[in-house]
Amino acid sequence: MSKLSRNSVGVAALAFPTWAYLAFFFIIPVALVLWYSFGFKPDLFTAHDNSVLSLDRYFETADPTFLSTFWNTLQIAGVGTLICLLIGVPFAYWLAVKVPSRWRALLLALVLVPFWTNFLVRTLGWQILLAPEGFLSDALQTMHLTTGPLSILYTRAAVQLGVVYNYLPLMVMPLFVAMDRAGASLREASRDLGANRWRTLWQVTLPLAAPGIASGCLLVFIPLMGDYITASVLGGAQGNMVGQLVANQFNSAQNWALGSAMAVVLMIFILLTVAIVGAVILAVRAVLRHNRRVVMDRTDIESAVIEEAAA
Amino acid sequence: MTQQSTLAPPVATEAGSVQVRNVVKRYGTATAVAGVNLDVRSGEFLSLLGPSGCGKTTLLRMIAGFEEPDEGDIVLAGSSVVGVPPHKRPVNTVFQAYALFPHMSVAENVAYGLRQRRTSRAEIGARVTEALDLVQMGTFATRNPKMLSGGQQQRVALARAIVNRPKVLLLDEPMSALDRKLREEMQLELKLLQRRLGITFVFVTHDQAEALSMSDRIVVMLDGRVQQVGTAEDIYTNPATSFVAGFIGKQNFIAGTVAGNGRLVTADGEIAAADADAAPAGSAVLAAVRAESITVSTVRPDTDVNVVKAAVGAVSFLGETIQYQLTTGSGHELLARVPPLHGELLPAGSTVWCSWAPAHVQVFPNPHPSTGGQ
Ligand SMILES: Nc1ncnc2c1ncn2[C@@H]1O[C@H](COP(=O)(O)OP(=O)(O)OP(=O)(O)O)[C@@H](O)[C@H]1O
Ligand SMILES: [Mg+2]
Repeated sequence: MSKLSRNSVGVAALAFPTWAYLAFFFIIPVALVLWYSFGFKPDLFTAHDNSVLSLDRYFETADPTFLSTFWNTLQIAGVGTLICLLIGVPFAYWLAVKVPSRWRALLLALVLVPFWTNFLVRTLGWQILLAPEGFLSDALQTMHLTTGPLSILYTRAAVQLGVVYNYLPLMVMPLFVAMDRAGASLREASRDLGANRWRTLWQVTLPLAAPGIASGCLLVFIPLMGDYITASVLGGAQGNMVGQLVANQFNSAQNWALGSAMAVVLMIFILLTVAIVGAVILAVRAVLRHNRRVVMDRTDIESAVIEEAAA
Repeated sequence: MTQQSTLAPPVATEAGSVQVRNVVKRYGTATAVAGVNLDVRSGEFLSLLGPSGCGKTTLLRMIAGFEEPDEGDIVLAGSSVVGVPPHKRPVNTVFQAYALFPHMSVAENVAYGLRQRRTSRAEIGARVTEALDLVQMGTFATRNPKMLSGGQQQRVALARAIVNRPKVLLLDEPMSALDRKLREEMQLELKLLQRRLGITFVFVTHDQAEALSMSDRIVVMLDGRVQQVGTAEDIYTNPATSFVAGFIGKQNFIAGTVAGNGRLVTADGEIAAADADAAPAGSAVLAAVRAESITVSTVRPDTDVNVVKAAVGAVSFLGETIQYQLTTGSGHELLARVPPLHGELLPAGSTVWCSWAPAHVQVFPNPHPSTGGQ
């Protein structure tokens, strides 16, 4: 017992850098935001005051603008994650299964190309590309594919496009790793046992890639919910996202208390969404397990169950 | 020979028969399989034996359908399967690395093939039970394969293949990961299983003892080609090439030329060989003498042929035999293996006489005459 506790103290001590990192970059900032959200804005020139604590800022967040923007954000993030998934799964499958290994590194590098430039700069790139008087618009008009200039910039469609472009690599990477790790030998075993490519995909490759799919979706959905650069650059008034509102409260309105309350609502909402989606996935998995289970002829497997319990 | 008599005569269209016809497989400029012909009979236990990289796995993968031959044809049960995808071929494979599905229990792994055929739940239950019992893994049905030992995983892999009742089972070094004791047990189980189920086994190994003890026939391969096909006895007693002779058992090769009178001229004097005159006089040959055919004694044996004086180098006790490393007068190295009860242990450095019977000498054309065939 004492040995065990000494051990765990040792492990905790070894993990100190992780704790320090978490505390510094996560726990302390989040605690501060939470603390500020109970305060208020005392006057025009002061950003926050915590001398009187209340939940009033949270009631303030429940105004129609915030709620509709929130709903908008959720749609953009949800659709964006879905599109990334729909593009990412076939692409990662193709990369991990079909592409000869000597080409893989090159293609992966190409996937990461957008990351070589700054997030803002590459989003501004899209602004130039999508502008009504821009190159793409001109080209489409010359080819008579559209009548009149391109009118996609400053719409939700533009935000959606920018979001998919910006976040797709975050989806592809974990998906590729998961599918690559599932390995050719398991797919061959499946084919050998009579499953065609399609059934092999559904019964072997995708189930084994499930953790990668989950982490890809989280990596896209969570930052996307808080993104405000893409929306400010490409969305204009129509493509507002909640991140913009929060940033506004901190930067222009100088109301840190309200901004913090909005941020807390956003965080709680993200946690809830992730929890609900996670529960649905677990339920689906349980159903699949149930369908796959083998009812053995005899009951002497009990010995195995007991053995398992003892182990 | 005796094993062969229990087999049905070869019928090319029988369900478990496999014909490999002039099959060639290239990877870039390298040729992995260079024109192989094979006739596997229904119900036969056939081993593919050969050194690493000789094309055994490639050949097996072509039969299973994971690779297509560049030339030639593969015929299963009388019809060509070239171009048929693996899931439509009536064969199952036991993979070298087991390849059990980590997200399924043992029973679900075994049931996988049956589920693809949309077998009823009740029948799946019955057949999975039967297959797991066969490999004595019934009590592990609910376990995750990751929680099994190597030998247990191997048996699950076997059950997963045989539960489908394939006509042909392909096994790629399925026991290479097991310790010796477990391997010997599994060899016995596997052999019994194969007899009981009447499945054709094509069994890849580079362990010659394994091939000799289990197979009806053995195919010895080298560099993508078949060197010899025959029963264990055939291959041991009548190796077709010096490679086969050297691959099975411990062999001494002595370079020489055919003298024409039933003798060979070598650096250590003349060697009498039963089949010395099969090669034309004057041609460069290799005389092969098995380490276990050599008698070692301290006094000169009472015969004037095949006696060589040698110095004892290293002595190793191998359990069933004692191995002497000997150096002849001409500097040639000989290995001799003698039973331990055959007299006292000879110390290193002592001078001894080696002798062997002319009937135990095999003569092969020397593939590299300039280098003395080594
Ligand atoms: N996918 C591949 N690409 C290129 N060369 C390959 C490929 N697979 C096999 N080879 C080559 O083909 C030859 C035969 O390989 P194979 O795997 O059939 O050997 P093996 O007899 O099974 O050897 P081992 O006993 O080591 O398993 C080898 O020289 C190997 O390098
Ligand atoms: Mg191999």
